[in-house]
Amino acid sequence: MGSIDSIYDKVKKYIHDFASGRGASSAMTGYMSGELQTVVFIMIIAAFFRLFSIPLGMVILIGVVAAVLYFAPTIKTMERENASDLNQVLFWVVIYFAAIIAVTLWGR
Amino acid sequence: MNEPITNLWSIPLLIVIPILTAILVNLLYNKANAIKTIAISSSITLLAIALISPFGFQWFTGQPGVIPGGGYTFSADIFAWRLSLEYYYGSLQQILIVIMSLLLAFVVFISTRVLKKNFGTYIGLLFLLYTSAAIIIMVNDFYHLWIGVEFGSLLVAGVVAASGESISQKAALKYTFFSALSGAGMAISLALILGLTGYSNISDAIRFMSNNQLGGMSGVLYVAFGFLILSWIYAGGLAPTHPLKSDVYGAAYPHATILLQTQSKLMLVAMGLIILRLFSGLPFAKEVMLAISVITMMLGVVMALLQTDFRWTLAYLIISHSGLVTVGISLGTVAGIIGGLFQAVNDIIYMSILLLCCEAVLYFGSGTSIRSISGIAKSSPWLTGAVIVGALAASGIPPLNGFQSELILIQAALGQGLPEIAVIILMVSVTTFIALFKSIYSIFLRPADQTIIVGKPSADATTTGLSPVPKVLFLALAVLIGIAIILGVYPNLALNFLNETAMKVVYVPWVP
Amino acid sequence: MIEITLQLLSFIAAAILVIVGLTGMLFLDNLIKKIISFTLLSDGVNLALVSLGYVEGGIASILTPGSSVVDFPYNAILIFGPGIVLTNIVIGVSTTAILVALTIVLYKRYGTLKASKVLKGERK
Repeated sequence: MGSIDSIYDKVKKYIHDFASGRGASSAMTGYMSGELQTVVFIMIIAAFFRLFSIPLGMVILIGVVAAVLYFAPTIKTMERENASDLNQVLFWVVIYFAAIIAVTLWGR
Repeated sequence: MNEPITNLWSIPLLIVIPILTAILVNLLYNKANAIKTIAISSSITLLAIALISPFGFQWFTGQPGVIPGGGYTFSADIFAWRLSLEYYYGSLQQILIVIMSLLLAFVVFISTRVLKKNFGTYIGLLFLLYTSAAIIIMVNDFYHLWIGVEFGSLLVAGVVAASGESISQKAALKYTFFSALSGAGMAISLALILGLTGYSNISDAIRFMSNNQLGGMSGVLYVAFGFLILSWIYAGGLAPTHPLKSDVYGAAYPHATILLQTQSKLMLVAMGLIILRLFSGLPFAKEVMLAISVITMMLGVVMALLQTDFRWTLAYLIISHSGLVTVGISLGTVAGIIGGLFQAVNDIIYMSILLLCCEAVLYFGSGTSIRSISGIAKSSPWLTGAVIVGALAASGIPPLNGFQSELILIQAALGQGLPEIAVIILMVSVTTFIALFKSIYSIFLRPADQTIIVGKPSADATTTGLSPVPKVLFLALAVLIGIAIILGVYPNLALNFLNETAMKVVYVPWVP
Repeated sequence: MIEITLQLLSFIAAAILVIVGLTGMLFLDNLIKKIISFTLLSDGVNLALVSLGYVEGGIASILTPGSSVVDFPYNAILIFGPGIVLTNIVIGVSTTAILVALTIVLYKRYGTLKASKVLKGERK
């Protein structure tokens, strides 16, 4: 059972670790702000589905919140999925292509 | 319109001169002085032609618009079939080609100064890259559109592989694999549109589709749309292909990246406008384009935050800002399209400033990683000033040019009832600032310390075997910063060129 | 019931070639096999383009002296398809050349043709 002090110490140590050290710190701030940005961006894009239909937007928003919690830290997943591996990019392109055709045909 | 019914003299010159120059410098191979003279004079000629040329058409295998009763016409108000392969040089084409010619002149000048051997072929590739972009921005028929995209993507691979490192060869191979795939897709798409309409001229095809109420009715049209969007994504490096495109930008020489990013912005604009003209009748077409643009902006800027090398930060930011250009175009309103086109112009300019600074950092000899070099501000304060101005312009700070176009984009998004897009555009500019200043602080402003190899000042560089920073690079920086400030204060100088195009795309899409 | 014509059959053949090529490019790991798959894909596209312009009993779309101007538009094949195929063959050859050249260079460097080894993202 940790006291308030120990939690405070942990947080202080954690922040101190981020803030000290030269090269590592600027890379680390990138990851931290990247994580924040990604979560907000994903939420906004999910909210964007209100254009198609509002109930769908709500369902997707809830799904996205669950997915963000599941994949946290999101930025690591993001970085892995954005690697420039040829096979992986080809895979994503096929998925995108299917989604584009499906969405436009759905609107028909 | 009062133009005489004749082919415009300047369009063939804009295509033929760079091709002839490329052949010539390739044949000269290693005769440095001859190559320099020819390449520089030819790029300045291109700039002059683009500046003084009037607006007009060039037809292959045909004639201007044919009136059903006989005779020819130019007028947009009179019904006419064009029936020919066609180029059009208008105000949008003029401003983009003038900027590209200016950049070509600077890039050719810099590359003749810093490359030591066998640069004839490389300069030839740069000129061909210019040709491919010029073709695509002027084209008004499917055949040349397809050729421009295919041949442009092979050239991108060539220019990247020319820098000779293992990572650039890999990037070129991956990019070529993908060009093979999406080139095939584009051929299928154009063939499907042709099969539906029977016209190879884009104006005719659009006219046929609107006369016959084809939009939204034919299932084949959706497949054509999908494939054309795929090749648009690939040509401009939008969302799912952005890792390949950022590899291309990061692995080429920074000065070559200036032309590469200009080419891909021109492709994005030209193909985006063509897709909008052809398919704006399809339900959800604009929404699909908008979604792809938003995802591109977001992925690009977040990946830029993670990079620890100035080159790669810039590579991902270029991707992200391509998304800004396409957001404007895919909004599909006059204000949105003007914003997108203006953003393309500004983006080319401020990214070129940043890339030139990145090139200069390379001459200090310690790479461009934030861990390997620091303290440049002390030895070159002017360079530091330039990189800061570039970064401020990229993050949309007034009175620089990025601010004006982002403002128009945000207003256009709000006007369409899409506040989410406005928020995302704002977030992208703020994050651009963070990502850039992380690198700029570490490389330029952080005091050089003992544990890190200190960058050598450019004056000593000749003794260490490195190229000194060429004077022309500073000249280029000065000119580009000047343009950035002028466009930031007087945006109407550029907007006057773009208004007409945006109006035509929205109200009379069949007019090129 | 769809009538089985020569055009339909060649479209089916083209679709099969495209699917085989696409599958190969996606799922085969060997770079040379990927390149061969690309040539299959490109041939499929060419076949589709040529078949698109096919007209039963048609003539080449070149107006020769003595031929009927009235019948010409009804009998001539669609010219765009063959035109773009000629260019596609040339571009396909140059793309293949670039792919093979870069593959040779990378093979010398890495000693393997596995795309998952040679082309994996490495810098991060």
